[in-house]
Amino acid sequence: MSTRPLHAVESLADDLRAWLPAQRWFAAKGRDLTDVRVERAEVLSSGEPTLVHALLDVDGELYQVFIGVRYQLPEHLNGSLIGRIGESYAYEAAHDPELMAGLLDLLATSADTGSLHWRPEPGISLVTGLRARPIGVEQSNTSIVYGYHYILKLFRRPTPGANRDVDLHRALASAGSTQVAAPVATVEDDDCVLGFAQRYLGDAAEGWATATASVRDLLAEGDLHAREVGGDFAGEASRLGAAVAQVHADLAEELGTQVDHDVDAGVAEMHARLDAVLAEVPALAEHERTLREAFDAVRAVSAMPVQHIHGDLHLGQVLRTTAGWVLIDFEGEPASAPRERVRMRSPLRDVAGMLRSFDYAALHLLAGDEPDNQRLTRAAEWADRNRSAFCDGYATVGEDPRADAALLRAFELDKAVYEVAYEHRNRPDWVPIPLAAIRRAPGIP
Amino acid sequence: MTVQDSTAPDAALGLAGIPHTGEGVTADGHLTEPQAEDFHHARSAPPDPRWYKSAVFYEVLVRAFNDSDGNGTGDLRGLADKLDYLQWLGIDCLWLPPFYASPLRDGGYDISDFRAVLPEFGTVDDFGYLLDQAHKRGIRVITDLVLNHTSDAHPWFQESRQHPDGPYGDYYVWSDTDDRYSDARIIFVDTETSNWTYDPVRGQFYWHRFFSHQPDLNYENPEVQEAMLDVLRFWLDIGIDGFRLDAVPYLFEEEGTNCENLPRTHEFLKRCRKVVDDEYPGRVLLAEANQWPADVVEYFGDQGVGGDECHMAFHFPLMPRIFMAVRRESRFPISEILAQTPSIPSGAQWGIFLRNHDELTLEMVTDEERDYMYAEYAKDPRMKANIGIRRRLAPLLDNDRNQQELFTALLLSLPGSPVLYYGDEIGMGDNIWLGDRDAVRTPMQWSPDRNAGFSRCDPGRLYLPTIADPVYGFQAVNVESAMNNTSSLLHWTRRMLQVRTEHPAFGHGDFTELGSSNPSVLAYLRRHEGDVVICVNNLSRFPQPVELHLSEHDGCVPVELTGGVRFPAIGELPYLLTLPGHGFYWFQITQPHEEGEPQ
Ligand SMILES: Nc1ncnc2c1ncn2[C@@H]1O[C@H](COP(=O)(O)OP(=O)(O)OP(=O)(O)O)[C@@H](O)[C@H]1O
Repeated sequence: MSTRPLHAVESLADDLRAWLPAQRWFAAKGRDLTDVRVERAEVLSSGEPTLVHALLDVDGELYQVFIGVRYQLPEHLNGSLIGRIGESYAYEAAHDPELMAGLLDLLATSADTGSLHWRPEPGISLVTGLRARPIGVEQSNTSIVYGYHYILKLFRRPTPGANRDVDLHRALASAGSTQVAAPVATVEDDDCVLGFAQRYLGDAAEGWATATASVRDLLAEGDLHAREVGGDFAGEASRLGAAVAQVHADLAEELGTQVDHDVDAGVAEMHARLDAVLAEVPALAEHERTLREAFDAVRAVSAMPVQHIHGDLHLGQVLRTTAGWVLIDFEGEPASAPRERVRMRSPLRDVAGMLRSFDYAALHLLAGDEPDNQRLTRAAEWADRNRSAFCDGYATVGEDPRADAALLRAFELDKAVYEVAYEHRNRPDWVPIPLAAIRRAPGIP
Repeated sequence: MTVQDSTAPDAALGLAGIPHTGEGVTADGHLTEPQAEDFHHARSAPPDPRWYKSAVFYEVLVRAFNDSDGNGTGDLRGLADKLDYLQWLGIDCLWLPPFYASPLRDGGYDISDFRAVLPEFGTVDDFGYLLDQAHKRGIRVITDLVLNHTSDAHPWFQESRQHPDGPYGDYYVWSDTDDRYSDARIIFVDTETSNWTYDPVRGQFYWHRFFSHQPDLNYENPEVQEAMLDVLRFWLDIGIDGFRLDAVPYLFEEEGTNCENLPRTHEFLKRCRKVVDDEYPGRVLLAEANQWPADVVEYFGDQGVGGDECHMAFHFPLMPRIFMAVRRESRFPISEILAQTPSIPSGAQWGIFLRNHDELTLEMVTDEERDYMYAEYAKDPRMKANIGIRRRLAPLLDNDRNQQELFTALLLSLPGSPVLYYGDEIGMGDNIWLGDRDAVRTPMQWSPDRNAGFSRCDPGRLYLPTIADPVYGFQAVNVESAMNNTSSLLHWTRRMLQVRTEHPAFGHGDFTELGSSNPSVLAYLRRHEGDVVICVNNLSRFPQPVELHLSEHDGCVPVELTGGVRFPAIGELPYLLTLPGHGFYWFQITQPHEEGEPQ
């Protein structure tokens, strides 16, 4: 098979058609696949086991897969089976530590394999011989951890052209930022970035888990206020605010800023998004006026400073390490087109994203329950306290985001409208969370 | 013989009739001092040059432990009578706060004679007896020694103030003005306004970093250095196993500096160490320097030679961080401080503790953290003292058994030699109505009998009242009933100490934090040669799952250390554990063939 990887993978097409939709990173869920074509397939390492790299065109969308081939499948890979190639088993190679370990060697030696170029970042010499393991969390790409040193993200849906995640990380690294995990290597072909390795922060815990531990603590107390319970998160929220502001400052410094004079266009976009969601979610109708007024209030802003921002900031995109908060995954907002993602935007978009995230963290434990006023009040108190602590922290490094109340409010509501649509489709029990936020939104300043 | 009058240098000591400094004067004007040969020497402890790296220490206040003569105050003989209990518990070394002759204006840290014992505690020979009995049971004993200053009642100071030109004239730091070394901070801001105090007898100011009744010794004077080295030798000859050197950063002064941690202070500590290494191998020096670990490591000396100053130093900031981490249900307060802790020389060891005779000190935390600690652990203003919290472990943790066990498990498994505080092993309480730091210094509770079995005296004569409240009082909490109940905290503690002794990884091993995605779970690996132990702690009161990445130990079997239960073998996949609220596990990682039937 080593001479004919393309045919070998093509022979798997039916199996892939069945297998792909079950993958977490597969985007077009729920639709029937008609066409799986193999764009390219190359052997990265041969023998037992063999590793094949393939790019698939799935109904017009490009996907990257790593396929392992073995005569005998060890038990721990049973769940990763895709199908058979002749006598051999073909399986998801990202779950095979043995095969994934080899990728690190390719990166370390600056290898070229067929169309792929494996490159360490300038000045980085990679430690090799490390154990590989998949991180085992639900994610839209696939990440492999090497020892306690590196994490390699394999982009499942590579897009031609520049890769925002890589570019922004490089910019921040060159600014000496301690709020990102340093980039260490990339995998590219002539069109796309296919993989991106960074320093692994082995001691990290996600912001979401850290914040919700605090909420849990609060809700277990009948009568204490958020500031009174031991699990208070405000100190963390404030440090997180400062970290985000520092990232914004570094990005502005490295990549520049602009002024957006066409604020009306942005307002029109928010209205357009609202139109679409109103059509889908009737429960939103009662808030239409509040929302439209909030969006229109932005028209008073004649010129809006914009720059490169994180673009998809929430508590799941920040890691608490023993050295402070770190931001990850600068790919930008997943819902927007790649061309949209590279646009400069107001940093208040990131702030709004994080503020919404605090709201979610506070309320998620209550989702699906009968409304309980006591618990709701406590949760709202937690959200308010941490939202303002975040802004306080932000203001120690950058401008106080609350100074632009109209903008921040509009961005938050815009985000909440998006959330309503998302929850309506995916988790109807959660719709009340963004709806409550819209209901609680302060009036026009 | 000198005439016994009020100006005699030894007049203030109250030591008439027992050997003490200044009973006579030599031809050249020096005071005669008791010599080690005059006393019984204890038998030696079993030889083990690295004993302190794996030892469990037990801090015991002589005054508070056991009263042998019925005068209401604990004493050395009384302590010696309780050594069987400490041996049963599994203690390796006792740490005694100072028991020297002293006017007791600073808890005995104001020493008026380095070569005499405070009469209410006994005599130098009583101490020798305690040492001998302890060594017989494999227990070592260290005590505090204050190098920096003496009490103003010390005959050296009396000589110095009265005879500026005599042999002791230069023993202290004297000055005509009070404006030298102005960059040195004042430590006890509540009571002192300056580091200089005027002495009307000598007509000069003397220097003191602590209280004005504790003049600093003048280490510029080579004779002072020799005299203090001889104090070390005196006790080492009798058989003591080491010293906790109190207030070490302040020995020397230098204009234009803050007079702390000066190079010459380190030089003198190197001399102390050399005396120990050359003349008394196997004995230890423990530095008391309440500073950040990055600064404290200086007191271990040269990394290259495995350390050439103190063998041990306390890790102060860890303790409040343990409390914060559990209250916040987040491992980060602990992870952060350990990540900031530099590596130490191969022959060095940290001392770590949860509580001691001082208040729970909050010097080594930020203002924000201090506010947090006060709010969480000192809800009543009386629980605060200076910059600390005066409470014992059990009441700090709301008498919650699970938390007491979790805290103890952390103490016994984090890097460093653990120091237990007397009474915490039975869950003793405190009395916040007592002044100063006395809240945590009440009599040890031995039994439900009168005075908690601590003393036969009339209860009114006790140095401090026993704890008598319904929850923590000696009727409910005492050694006797705890020993009769195998599920007591006391028995649990004893079992944990046994487990710790069986695994060199705890004392000698390196430390690697095992990150996990759960911020409430603190997991780490301790490894010494073939002994690999993994500790997993749930800092949250709620049950938690955790996935550990242990594939490096693929094929190995974790064996739980307290019960010996074998857990499922480690594989390529993340190792999933679930922990109850405030639960913890200690596992030994064994090769699959190590246990079970031959295959
Ligand atoms: N440098 C790092 N060190 C440690 N863990 C990391 C690092 N980068 C990412 N992670 C972990 O991997 C997870 C996935 O990372 P990332 O968000 O970059 O991937 P993604 O596939 O784009 O995820 P998502 O589906 O959330 O967009 C993160 O949630 C985080 O827990």
